[in-house]
Amino acid sequence: MLYDLIIIGGGPAGITAGIYAARKKLKTLLITKEWGGQVIKATEIENWPGTKKISGMDLIKQMAEHLKQFEIEIKENKEVIDLDKKGDNFSIRDNDQEYETKAVVIATGKIPRTLNIPGEEEFKGKGVSFCATCDAPLFKDKEVVVVGGGNAGFAAAIDLVKYAKKIYILEFLEEMRGDAVTKEKLAQTGKVGFSVNVAVKEIKGKKFVESLVYEDRRTSKDTELKIDGLFIAIGMMPKVGFAQKLVKLNKSGEIVIDKDNYTKTPGVFAAGDITDIKYEQIVIAAGEGAKAALAATEYLKNK
Amino acid sequence: MVRVFSTPTCPYCVALKGFLKEHNIEFEDIDVSQNMEAQKEMIDKSGQYGVPVIDIDGEIIVGFNQDRIKQLLKLT
Repeated sequence: MLYDLIIIGGGPAGITAGIYAARKKLKTLLITKEWGGQVIKATEIENWPGTKKISGMDLIKQMAEHLKQFEIEIKENKEVIDLDKKGDNFSIRDNDQEYETKAVVIATGKIPRTLNIPGEEEFKGKGVSFCATCDAPLFKDKEVVVVGGGNAGFAAAIDLVKYAKKIYILEFLEEMRGDAVTKEKLAQTGKVGFSVNVAVKEIKGKKFVESLVYEDRRTSKDTELKIDGLFIAIGMMPKVGFAQKLVKLNKSGEIVIDKDNYTKTPGVFAAGDITDIKYEQIVIAAGEGAKAALAATEYLKNK
Repeated sequence: MVRVFSTPTCPYCVALKGFLKEHNIEFEDIDVSQNMEAQKEMIDKSGQYGVPVIDIDGEIIVGFNQDRIKQLLKLT
């Protein structure tokens, strides 16, 4: 089977690309690990035109339902592991199948940035969490660390103060970057400690997290802190390993595109947060997805 | 019997419960942010500090793993 277009990713960019491609009658396949991604975690969205207020979960559900009205093939729960050229076309592989297509839209978005320190992967779900909104209630009367002193870290701490006994917010840089108002609010609870110039080095434990080793970057002295949980809130990162051969990445690892969503390989387009566009918003990602699908349509016509 | 351990704020819990409702699967909805005993049971059984956890006739699945859940509930 040869597709006209394969879209990788099921967030606002990928879904919108799918809607546009289907309406252009392209033979389209959309492959995604899940619907949404970052959007799912937004509890209230108030800047999606036409809808005054909606949760991320509901918005993405509506988008997916909208997409499914059209003639488009969809593979859910599949992660693409390789994208390569195959003659004039492209081959895409997920864990159990290979697909061939004339054009591709990459819209895989971003995932939470990891620390890449020993213990992080091992204790994921065993005290290490990337979602305070989800897991905070499990840390009632416990001591926890939030890594990251930006607004994401502060938001995690806000979720945690309702439950945890003590929260340490650790920031790598010289100062906390989160809003002063939120910091003040956290400080007033008397439960939150703030440390800057801290490099976290290792997460230790047996079955669950028991301690964190960190270095004071001014004195180079290591400290081991007894904790029950660790929440990582150090931003987001693109995951584009599968596409490396065909796209150019910027310093942040985002795919470099031109104004019409072309990557360096003709026929490979990219859209949304995975790309080097500056502003990352749902409405922008959706618009970029539409652009990518339209550019792909034009590319296929001229091919 | 199907039991879901969750917290009110976790998006994947909402998704999981929505999925079960869509497929008309009856389940016990356990809020581990309120029920500390159930929270302990969940952590013991799953070996995880994370929600959602679903217990399908004694089989424990952590997270909203659609494929595995479909398999166990014999959904197509």
